[in-house]
Amino acid sequence: MIVGEQKPLEEIMKLLGDAQKVLVAGCGTCVTVCFAGGEKEVGILASALRMRSKLEGHPMEVDEVTVQRQCEWEYIDPLKPRLKEYDVVLSLACGIGVQAMNERFPDVLTLPGLNTTFLGLPKEQGVWEERCQACGDCILGLTFGICPIARCSKQLLNGPCGGSQNGVCEVNPDIPCAWQLIWERAVQFGQVERLLEIQPPKDWSKSRDGGPRKIVREDLRLTHTE
Amino acid sequence: MESSFEPKILAFCCRHCAYAAADLAGAMRLRYPPSIRIVEVPCSGRVEVVEMLHAFERGVDGLMVAG
Repeated sequence: MIVGEQKPLEEIMKLLGDAQKVLVAGCGTCVTVCFAGGEKEVGILASALRMRSKLEGHPMEVDEVTVQRQCEWEYIDPLKPRLKEYDVVLSLACGIGVQAMNERFPDVLTLPGLNTTFLGLPKEQGVWEERCQACGDCILGLTFGICPIARCSKQLLNGPCGGSQNGVCEVNPDIPCAWQLIWERAVQFGQVERLLEIQPPKDWSKSRDGGPRKIVREDLRLTHTE
Repeated sequence: MESSFEPKILAFCCRHCAYAAADLAGAMRLRYPPSIRIVEVPCSGRVEVVEMLHAFERGVDGLMVAG
């Protein structure tokens, strides 16, 4: 899932500037399950904004709404009639939700209340770790299900570097060495010889190096252009 | 701050312990200031952060969750 973290209140107050009427808009999908921008967090932030703005002498009117998924037109379209009431929308969705709001409702400025951090998983309650960089050319099939692109600090493709010590990364002892993990998995499955095959430099054109990416599925489109 | 300031305190009390204790205090004729208001909850774990914030927004000076 997409993992995010709420921006500090100071930063959010600065972003909102002189806005008098604000709609805090949450998202019921990824940022709800990582406790950053769901209905509950919307309520807490809206309350904090009301109190903070009152204390600073320019009370804001802050309303709350949470949609199931802020990155799809179907879910955000019902917001349209009420948006003209607000000076600004503060989105607690990921960066995709914020952009979806700005794209769909260009007359209203939607600002981000979160920092969208990474694609990851909850390792345990309250701990999230990065697992995918959406590089566009998955190599998990070669690396026994552990991604060296997302989990090796140097994104190495052919084994660990000299900074791998006692199974951890030299960058930070909290980071397990991805290549150590890959090696252990290879041993577990008795397939270490598969790691002898040298991987050529990665084709980053399928990642961000090729510019913003797009997928078009003609079989799913409702209209076709000849 | 004025010396006459009497803080408004809201207490969320668990039905099974803290609220029962407050009940007992009443039965024993123990006194506490009228500016303390008690809200009985089925369990103190039920109290959400946003409910505490709403209490502050509505003007309480202090808040306790007892359970």
